[in-house]
Amino acid sequence: MNQDIFLIGKGQTPFGEHWDKSLKNLMDEAVTAAIDDAPINALDIDFIVVSNMLGERTNDQAHLGAMASSLLPHRPPAIRTEAACASGSVAVHTALSLLESGRAETILVVGVEKMTDVSTDEISSALMGAADSEKDIPSGLTFPGIFGLIANRYMHEYGLTKEQLNLVSARHHANGVSNPNAQFRSAIPAEKISESPNVADPLCLLDCSPVSDGAAAIILSNNHESPIRIAASQLSTDTLSITDRPSLTSFPATKDALDRALEEAEITRDDIAHLETHDCFSIAAVINLEDLGFANPGAGIQLYEADNPTPTINASGGLKACGHPVGATGVKQIVDLTKQLTTSNKRYALAHNFGGACATCAIHILENTDA
Amino acid sequence: MQHKMQEGTIISFTTISHPPKGFENQPRTIGLIELDDGKQVLGELNLSKLIATSYKLIGYRVKPHTRLSRINEQGLRIYEVCYEPLAQKPMETKKEFPGYIVALTGPSGVGKTTISKLLTSQISIYTVQVPILTTRKPSDQDENEYTYIDAKKFEVLKKQGKLAAASNIPSTTDTRWYGYRKSDIEKIWEEGKIPVVITEKGLLQDLSRHFGRRSILSFGLLPPGNSKRMMLSCLLHRLRQRGRDSEASIQDRLKNAQQDLEFFEQKSHLFDDLIVNEDVDAVFNALKGRVLEVVSQ
Repeated sequence: MNQDIFLIGKGQTPFGEHWDKSLKNLMDEAVTAAIDDAPINALDIDFIVVSNMLGERTNDQAHLGAMASSLLPHRPPAIRTEAACASGSVAVHTALSLLESGRAETILVVGVEKMTDVSTDEISSALMGAADSEKDIPSGLTFPGIFGLIANRYMHEYGLTKEQLNLVSARHHANGVSNPNAQFRSAIPAEKISESPNVADPLCLLDCSPVSDGAAAIILSNNHESPIRIAASQLSTDTLSITDRPSLTSFPATKDALDRALEEAEITRDDIAHLETHDCFSIAAVINLEDLGFANPGAGIQLYEADNPTPTINASGGLKACGHPVGATGVKQIVDLTKQLTTSNKRYALAHNFGGACATCAIHILENTDA
Repeated sequence: MQHKMQEGTIISFTTISHPPKGFENQPRTIGLIELDDGKQVLGELNLSKLIATSYKLIGYRVKPHTRLSRINEQGLRIYEVCYEPLAQKPMETKKEFPGYIVALTGPSGVGKTTISKLLTSQISIYTVQVPILTTRKPSDQDENEYTYIDAKKFEVLKKQGKLAAASNIPSTTDTRWYGYRKSDIEKIWEEGKIPVVITEKGLLQDLSRHFGRRSILSFGLLPPGNSKRMMLSCLLHRLRQRGRDSEASIQDRLKNAQQDLEFFEQKSHLFDDLIVNEDVDAVFNALKGRVLEVVSQ
């Protein structure tokens, strides 16, 4: 960051199945909540960045920038970002870049996705758009399938058992109980995870984040202050297809983005008090902890075996319990971390959001300047 | 599709309970296959014949077939390559962690032998050099790092599965096989020490398949130089200077060296550290540090 940029407002809809609300209703609800939360009025917003992946396929709706802009009385300029499940964090990254460039002073970022209006077949096929249409799709692979391949390889290389892996979803569900915006708010014991139907061996239904509707919004500004400052924003990419990767058990884009983010924030990993990581599938959370350097390769699961890990991991419930409206998730992670920092009065929190099999990865570090 | 018609090895697999629309509505097993040319592809695994259970497929060899994959919305029949696992023993059998092996990989002349000698003499209480099995003829220049064996016997050991790694290093004059016996490596582990091997791409890949990648403390040694051309000329200089090889053999070695340097990039996941051998003592100290780290675990 070449200047101080603050998060001055945040809001979200509960994530879940919102059959009575349209894409626009969801967007409106999150935007209204964020503006209400901020010490500004709507007219202070001079740019909007919308994140969404699937509008055309699931809602017959493109052109979401203009849609978002129409929600405000003065219709500020607006754009949309798409980077599969990382769309949200890429929108934040884009907004920060616009602020740094001097193009805008107060930006509304809103992530929105409405996935439950179409059939499972349709949503599953739409999500495969995040993979490589030439190399990955013709085999009949699905996204759970991609992470099934990753999980089997990981288990083979490191001897992780399915019983151990079950701890991941169990922990995220336990965390989700106290989050009023989570899609699922019941604790699910570890042994129930592998009793759920098989999706892509070894992954069961409860190893996968759900299909969800929801929206989340934040307001970023360099001319209004708040205790929460954005200390770093880094973006990294990798090959679209897993067939072009040397290893299935680590995501280099995470490592790359993390190194640069820590450098940008001028802190070390040990300074991070709260982490929200992209647990689209249980195995992803394990690998993420290793790539983020909180565990050695093969030892990520130990943080789920421990009772109170440092940093806190997906205290919101993560994608698993909160739900994963793909375009909204990256923004929602930042909403949650802001709450966590304010409650704990700790100094740093890290949001790790990725798209596809970590073909796009964005990391944001938030600083609580009151701490 | 043509390039997919190759044999290969299963890197991973998964069985999808509900495949996407258009595919047969029954569980579908898909494999990530490393083809023999090194490229990876995804393909359906045809498990009907030989293997009833889909478990432990990783490491199995597969052969390709074309098969009706799906019928699209326009009624077009789409054929794809699918792979049939062969019933032979998987290449990669070890699941448990057997122990560490220090592997030194790099082009000819980069200093593998020198570093290996330093390691196994200076910290001999921890490390032992594994004898290299070779079918090539003894030479006066060899410094007893080799065990010589004739080509037939080598082939027999290979077929019996007694070799943890075997590789044929191209040369214009003859065919030379190099390998490591499983028993030699296991004996060193039994003594509580760490085996040190000198490898090239074939041997390193075999060892990593055989014992598991994380068993290998894998170091790539690079000659000094800012570009590939500079590195190669440095090697040429060293090879000529050490005077062990004929000019023809040096030319062979340089050809292989070029591929070895490319291998570092293509298969970076097979290496823990790439070290530029500018100063032997510095390299030795770096390696010693890593070995002692492992010993102290």
